[in-house]
Amino acid sequence: MNADRLLLTLDVAQFLYAEAELLDERRHDEWLALLAEDIRYWMPMRRNVKYGDTTREFTRETEDISWFDEGKDTLTRRVRQIQTGIHWAEEPQSRITHMVSNVVLLGVTPDAGEPREVSAKSRFLIYRNRVETETDLLVGKREDTLRRDGDGWLIARRKIILDQNVLLTKNLTFFF
Amino acid sequence: MSDPVNVRTLSVGTRVVLGSGAEVEIVANPGDGVWLFGRHVAGDAAGEEEMIFAQDVVEVRG
Amino acid sequence: MTNGPRGYNSGLVDAASGLISREIFVNEDIYAQEQERVFARSWLFVGHESQIPNPGDFFASRMGEESVILCRDRAGAVHVFLNSCRHRGMKVCRYDDGNTTVFTCPYHGWSYGTDGALVGVPFFREAYHSELDRGKYGLVEVAQLCCYKGSVWANWDAGAPPFLEYLGEFQRFLDLILDGWDGREGQAELLGGVQKWVIPCNWKFPAENFAGDTYHNISHRSVDLVGAGPSGRSRRDYGELNVARKLHVALPDRGHQTITYVLPRDHQPQPAYQNSPEVAEYFRHCEEERRRRPGVNSRMMGAPGEIFPNVALLPRQPRTLAVWHPVSAHQTEVWRFFFVDRDAPKTVKNFLRDYYIRYSGPAGMTEQDDMENWNYAHAASRGVIARRYPYTYEMGAGHAVEDYEFEGLRMPGRVVDLTKAQASEEPMRNLYRRWAQFMEAESWDDLMPWRDEPARQAQAAQ
Repeated sequence: MNADRLLLTLDVAQFLYAEAELLDERRHDEWLALLAEDIRYWMPMRRNVKYGDTTREFTRETEDISWFDEGKDTLTRRVRQIQTGIHWAEEPQSRITHMVSNVVLLGVTPDAGEPREVSAKSRFLIYRNRVETETDLLVGKREDTLRRDGDGWLIARRKIILDQNVLLTKNLTFFF
Repeated sequence: MSDPVNVRTLSVGTRVVLGSGAEVEIVANPGDGVWLFGRHVAGDAAGEEEMIFAQDVVEVRG
Repeated sequence: MTNGPRGYNSGLVDAASGLISREIFVNEDIYAQEQERVFARSWLFVGHESQIPNPGDFFASRMGEESVILCRDRAGAVHVFLNSCRHRGMKVCRYDDGNTTVFTCPYHGWSYGTDGALVGVPFFREAYHSELDRGKYGLVEVAQLCCYKGSVWANWDAGAPPFLEYLGEFQRFLDLILDGWDGREGQAELLGGVQKWVIPCNWKFPAENFAGDTYHNISHRSVDLVGAGPSGRSRRDYGELNVARKLHVALPDRGHQTITYVLPRDHQPQPAYQNSPEVAEYFRHCEEERRRRPGVNSRMMGAPGEIFPNVALLPRQPRTLAVWHPVSAHQTEVWRFFFVDRDAPKTVKNFLRDYYIRYSGPAGMTEQDDMENWNYAHAASRGVIARRYPYTYEMGAGHAVEDYEFEGLRMPGRVVDLTKAQASEEPMRNLYRRWAQFMEAESWDDLMPWRDEPARQAQAAQ
């Protein structure tokens, strides 16, 4: 781990924390601005499979039904739906905290000194509390592709790996 | 008592030895780690097929 | 005892007046009785043959509260078994799906073939002295099974009528989701991935919603405003629906009901799926083929409906089937299945998959608001005061007609024309009338009035 890579990891982590802040503060328009126009946002479903079966644990992107498998247009509509103020599943709005940790760089293009694109993995713990006593705790990993945008980053791809089979929350009105 | 054998990944054609001393050739493996389908290779039971319980396998003979 | 059951037709469900007690949703004794009276003897949707195409294929499914295995044996026959070892009960299948030659219990090693036969018993000669009658201990199999155009249905009650008789005249509505868009029979296949999630309400809230609630558009206003539909407007295409008669169809004898749209005899295809010219053209072509195909209904369009007790159909936009599995009086596990025509082009399947995911399910911008309503309606009905006040299902009472016909197209059952009325609660009254019958009937002998009908008519004629 050289200095460039260390600094880049820190830079990426700070970006992910800032992103989490926007979501927790319900600053959804600013969050949308962090997404590349061609973003793919995908959360596969997970199956219980036989030991050694590496092909069927996750539903396939652009093939199967997943929890999410969409681009910026749909993500924008989701935000607009919350902003109508009459999306009852998010009205009143949930209280939410995104904890992001274990940020590591998986790959850098072309190099850590002048990166154009990085792939990064992190873990999340999302605590969502709603209305009076509804509480959800969702834990998993995210694999992101980030693209350099000036001094900052755009999210070009996010794969969300939730550690659940039967989904244990009634809805997914929030973002991972 | 012999060391336990994980029968889950034994391939068809492999020969195993049972607690009785009988040698059996695996003809099918359901992959559950509990059963094998085997055919006796010698003795009075030669040619007979039966389900072999994992606990009864004492040795893998290749 | 605050949870004690009371008489159904007199106390809790008055289908004539449309007043139904909140008890039926929140009372734990009633829930417990439902498992025997409703789920143990109804036809339940288990899966689709496209999930188990080859011998040895299996899909872990559910009937009521119980885990079952849907599988295809070595000879190609389809079975549904209780997922529980006959020895000590351990589940013999804990994978979601796959292919196997045997189902083996991890506890003591008992092993069953895909036809359910008990084939492996450790130490059978030694410990059991070869005395155990293995023929008695195969996996428990459902009493009746029906594969209808690929959909698989099962019933634990041997006394229940066969599936198609159970459906009665509702068969044509089930066909809308199972047949091809161009009218060919049974073209449906499932997209991979069954959505499963838990919701905090009684199963009857979603069941009655899909029975035909046309009154709750206000709830979905937010998704209509953002234009999540396949033409970028509203949540679905309404072109044809604007020229159709909008109906509620309820089959009182069977307890099935649905919204449907019937088109005029010489209607013109309306633009749809306009977000993609290729998809729009594909469906326009399918519509044309459907009209040309002799004997195929091309004037009836699918909309939400409910097969008694807990299977919701939505044949169109999106094309999906949901099963509301009871978990407790206060919780339901939803399983959602999504269909396409098996030979539709990839671009069409992709387009639809995008739409399905953003419409239905926990990430569905439409379904999310439904679930919120069901959640809090249930929560607000649990208290002793709330339970004194029945829900009102009085809308449109007395306004249903029989022998409905529109430009030569006849509709079965009791029909309410919603074209001007917008909404009615006839489907809910229908659902709960049938539910109350199930809760009171000792056996299926008391649940098939249509079988008595010819005898009654013969007697009346004498």
